[in-house]
Amino acid sequence: MLKITDLELLVGSVAHLAAINASFQPGTLTTILGRTGAGKTTLMRAIAGLIAPDRGQILLDGTGWTRLPPWKRPVAMVTQQFINYPHLNVRDNVAFPLVRAGVAKADAAARAEAALARVGLAAMVDRRPSALSGGQQQRVAIARALVKKAPVLLLDEPFVNLDYNLREAFRKDLVDLLAVETGTVVLYASTDPREALQMGDQIVLLADGRIVQSGSPRDVFANPASLTAASVVNDPPINPIPFHQNGVADFGALGQQAITLPSGAYTLGLRASDIRAGGPHQARVTLTEVTGSETLTHLSLNGLDLVMQEKSVVLRSPGDVVGVHLDLHKGLVFGADGQRAGV
Amino acid sequence: MKTLYLALKYLAIALWSAFVVFPFLWALTTSFKSANGVTGGATWIPWVQYEPSLQGWQSLFGGVGGINVVKPFYNSLVVTLSASVISITLGTLAAYALSRFTFRFLWMRNSDITFFFISQRIMPPIVLAIPFFLMLRSLGLLDSLPGLILVYVALLMPIAVWVMVDFFNGVPRGLDEMAWMDGCNPIITFWRVILPNALPGLVVAGMFCIIFGWNDFFFAFTLTFTETQLLPVAIVSLNSSVTPWWSLSAAALVSIAPLVVLAFVVERFLSKGGLAGAVR
Amino acid sequence: MYRQKYLFLLPGLLVLVAIILFPLLFTIRVSFSSWDVYNPGLNWIGGENYGRLWEDARYWQALGRLTLLSVTTVLIQYVLGFALALMVWRDLAARRLFRVLFLIPMMTTPVVMSVLWRTIFHESLGPLNPILESLGIGAAPWLSSAGWAFAAVVMVEVWQWTPFMFLLLLAGLLSLPNEPYLAAKIDGAGPVRTFFSVTFPMLGAISVGAILIRLIEASKIMETVYVLTSGGPGTSTETSSYYIYIRGMRDFQIGYSAALSLTYLIIMIVALTVIAKLLVRALVKDAA
Repeated sequence: MLKITDLELLVGSVAHLAAINASFQPGTLTTILGRTGAGKTTLMRAIAGLIAPDRGQILLDGTGWTRLPPWKRPVAMVTQQFINYPHLNVRDNVAFPLVRAGVAKADAAARAEAALARVGLAAMVDRRPSALSGGQQQRVAIARALVKKAPVLLLDEPFVNLDYNLREAFRKDLVDLLAVETGTVVLYASTDPREALQMGDQIVLLADGRIVQSGSPRDVFANPASLTAASVVNDPPINPIPFHQNGVADFGALGQQAITLPSGAYTLGLRASDIRAGGPHQARVTLTEVTGSETLTHLSLNGLDLVMQEKSVVLRSPGDVVGVHLDLHKGLVFGADGQRAGV
Repeated sequence: MKTLYLALKYLAIALWSAFVVFPFLWALTTSFKSANGVTGGATWIPWVQYEPSLQGWQSLFGGVGGINVVKPFYNSLVVTLSASVISITLGTLAAYALSRFTFRFLWMRNSDITFFFISQRIMPPIVLAIPFFLMLRSLGLLDSLPGLILVYVALLMPIAVWVMVDFFNGVPRGLDEMAWMDGCNPIITFWRVILPNALPGLVVAGMFCIIFGWNDFFFAFTLTFTETQLLPVAIVSLNSSVTPWWSLSAAALVSIAPLVVLAFVVERFLSKGGLAGAVR
Repeated sequence: MYRQKYLFLLPGLLVLVAIILFPLLFTIRVSFSSWDVYNPGLNWIGGENYGRLWEDARYWQALGRLTLLSVTTVLIQYVLGFALALMVWRDLAARRLFRVLFLIPMMTTPVVMSVLWRTIFHESLGPLNPILESLGIGAAPWLSSAGWAFAAVVMVEVWQWTPFMFLLLLAGLLSLPNEPYLAAKIDGAGPVRTFFSVTFPMLGAISVGAILIRLIEASKIMETVYVLTSGGPGTSTETSSYYIYIRGMRDFQIGYSAALSLTYLIIMIVALTVIAKLLVRALVKDAA
């Protein structure tokens, strides 16, 4: 078990990580979900020992890691950049960590070739990394990370620099590869909530260097604890609709369950997928984005900016007026402090 | 208009090329002259304008009235190569440290330390010459190869540090970090991962060190007498007496040749692109 | 955490400190002594050497001459190097040939070339005067008259080091982006205006670097002078380094020459710093 307690890392006076407490079980894949700059890479680098935290402990099965330099920590990492050793061929690249660990040359080469076969590069073993495509280079890096059988495997957005199609295929392959690694703690950093829902056994939401929520992906998605969590876990981000409640009222009509709210300022978080075309509210289109088979339409409704997500390609132009329906009863209510209200 | 411009351009290039080649051609033709050929005035074409002779070239190996350049050539080679190897070794290690780790000595940070190394190039040789002279004298190293090598190391290390800091700053840190996570401590990382990928930088550093080492005259001149003459000193010593221009020209061409060859070799190496692009 | 880092840095740093810093500190101490041939040793005479230096007209003349010489040669090198770089910049057919050819002078040993140049400048036997005569310019007393000797030194320096300017400026030109040139073409700018509004400003930073490096090197000039003219005729081509050399290594006035060389070093550093600031302000567009 990898256990992190009270981890804090300051750069100047800015906390890049603060009050990180988490534990990760072998054989599970945890997705660290957060926007760019949330601290995902910093957390992984701290676990690997590449940066020293200012406070806190990192323990693997009770052994303190905090004082260990990276070369004494049994970790493997795959980064966003495709990093391989330029002077070694693909086989020697993957065999490198084994040889360093004292495995005999022939044995290391055989294990490297087996690992490369698993990532589909059996035919490339004699090439230099520079002769491979970006995707192949990243497969070499993954093979090198897996061949070590390190108890902790860190995957820092490994596919973010690949084409969209390649990314989908690689993600599927990776899940298969990791299925047999039953003794390994796997951390997978991502900015994409769908990826987290697809892959993770567990999800940790990170925002501004703090853990805002953790749990099973379904749970976190269905019940985000705060507006921040809700916006991280939804892509596109959840639509915040501010409203004011005068006097205590039963708000049962809004949520799935009846909630009671004291008077005050609130925000209703409405997912982009809970806004549909074909409704009574006349909204003006400000921007249309088509990604894959989805359409995101940015709308302006009575001065409120909303994003609508549709599972089809719809072409609209800025300035068009669309009648929309808001599924307000699916909305989540957050108080002025950003926490879920009335749950 | 366009043709006039092109004509002027080619004229200018031709004129400059002539200016560049002029001293070499003069040295080449003079090296085949004898005393009669020289005193006959400025002539260029052998057989037609003067009777060619191999006297100048023969004197390089101890002929009459010339100098034997074999030993100075060997001395220059030993001093330049030893000092270059030492400077590049020490300079590369220091440059790697300055590029990868943070240092604080008193008020000095990495950039200050780097500047300290490089700023030694600003020092006029004359400022150091006298203390060097006294230092080597007290060490008993005046007029000796080890003494010269020591001084040349100080001369060349700033160049090595300058080139290699620049080079290492261009090598992604991710490579070092990957090696660390693969179980290499910094020393093994440097030896097994960084050094094998540093060849282009080492070639450039080596080229600069060899140029500056081979071409230095002043320290060789002030810190040696007769025992360990370097090539430039030997050639300049010909200058003082009644100058045998033929020996002088032949010796000058011999001393310049290695670096001209080096220029072509390095140009080839660099135009092949070295290992650029191998590291993403 | 990375204690090994000192293993990398310290060997080089300590060697350099030992070889450079101790002699420098020693020089400072020596400059307050009257160490010479007759009384070798470290006595203390206070600032006497510095007082003597203040009155030493020959020293200040050498410094003025050095300034004139450095500024003249570096400016000529810059203009010629820039012109040559512009000429071979887009001349793809012969570029590699000219690149190597134009670089060769800076690879050659300056002092050896000076020895050859001395034969070229020879008034009766050298090849230069016959060429000048055939061009109708007439022979010149190259190394025996003050003005001509100065010109000879300038010419040798220009021959040797214009390639350095050429190299840096060509590298700069080759790395320039294409877009500003398209924009200039669309605006209908001629080649002259394109040069002054696009090329020259974009090479500002590299120009400053190249000029500074050359000024630093030029301020040390002495080998060329030693071989070509020995500072003469009279003292008409004597530079600071050469004068200090005469006082220190020839007259063996160690104490006095230490004071001379320290003063020279300080003046050089101050002057170069000021010049660097001025150049950056004048040539680098983005500088505040």
